[in-house]
Amino acid sequence: MKWMVTCRETTELASRAMDERLPFADRVAMRMHLAICTNCAHFNRQLQQMRFLFRSETGDASGEPGLAPEARERIEAELRKKLDA
Amino acid sequence: MGTLDPHTWLADHGDYLFRVARRQLHSDELAEDAVQETLLAALAAQARYAGDASPRTWLTGILKHKIVDLIRRNLREVEIPRDADGEEALDSLFKQDGHWAEPVRPWGNPLAEAELGQLRRVLDECADRLKPAMAQVFSLREVAGMETDDICKELNITPTNCWVLLHRARVFMRQCLELNGFAKAGAA
Repeated sequence: MKWMVTCRETTELASRAMDERLPFADRVAMRMHLAICTNCAHFNRQLQQMRFLFRSETGDASGEPGLAPEARERIEAELRKKLDA
Repeated sequence: MGTLDPHTWLADHGDYLFRVARRQLHSDELAEDAVQETLLAALAAQARYAGDASPRTWLTGILKHKIVDLIRRNLREVEIPRDADGEEALDSLFKQDGHWAEPVRPWGNPLAEAELGQLRRVLDECADRLKPAMAQVFSLREVAGMETDDICKELNITPTNCWVLLHRARVFMRQCLELNGFAKAGAA
């Protein structure tokens, strides 16, 4: 068990903490490091900001380009084949 | 809540489904495939539509599976980065002793400051520069919000590989956003 972790190791833990609950020892090590290291604290905050950014921008996409006309025709034709079958 | 009319699917939901797919697949071509496969699968599964969700919600549910299918198929063709790959990018961020090489500046409020169209472009550009395997795992997790366990299982990669991919992708995206002046560092 390792209680002192480097910045590099802390970023790995912070990233993994975005995916699952860390084992107790890792969680403690990460929190202790984050409490004293502003660089890593900023990095950790940025991971959360990125997630917020990516997930919230999935909301409104209406301004983005839609299906290209050729693709639409192709899909239409495929659908028609099945519908008419 | 609704009845299904396959004849109007493409007109009513085609663009919507395409945009959802495009955001996760980062490719027009793959997104078009996803829409086509979704509508064909929906046609075959019409009988199972219970009517408790709107047609769009129902179609979007099918689309999500198709996106994962496409990514899985695609992943077979791309190389999952070996351990050494991407390690250099991480190495340059840190000193030998594991400390940051450069101070990490806090971000302001990127979402409030960005125009949506601009945000989209930057995200796309950055994602394009990721290795395909990383971009796709990243999208499934951060855009689609799939659980990491499910991603590993779906893509048949080990959890360790999954975390390594995700971590590198996050570090890369973070740097890319900063380099693009998008997530402006706040006043120190």
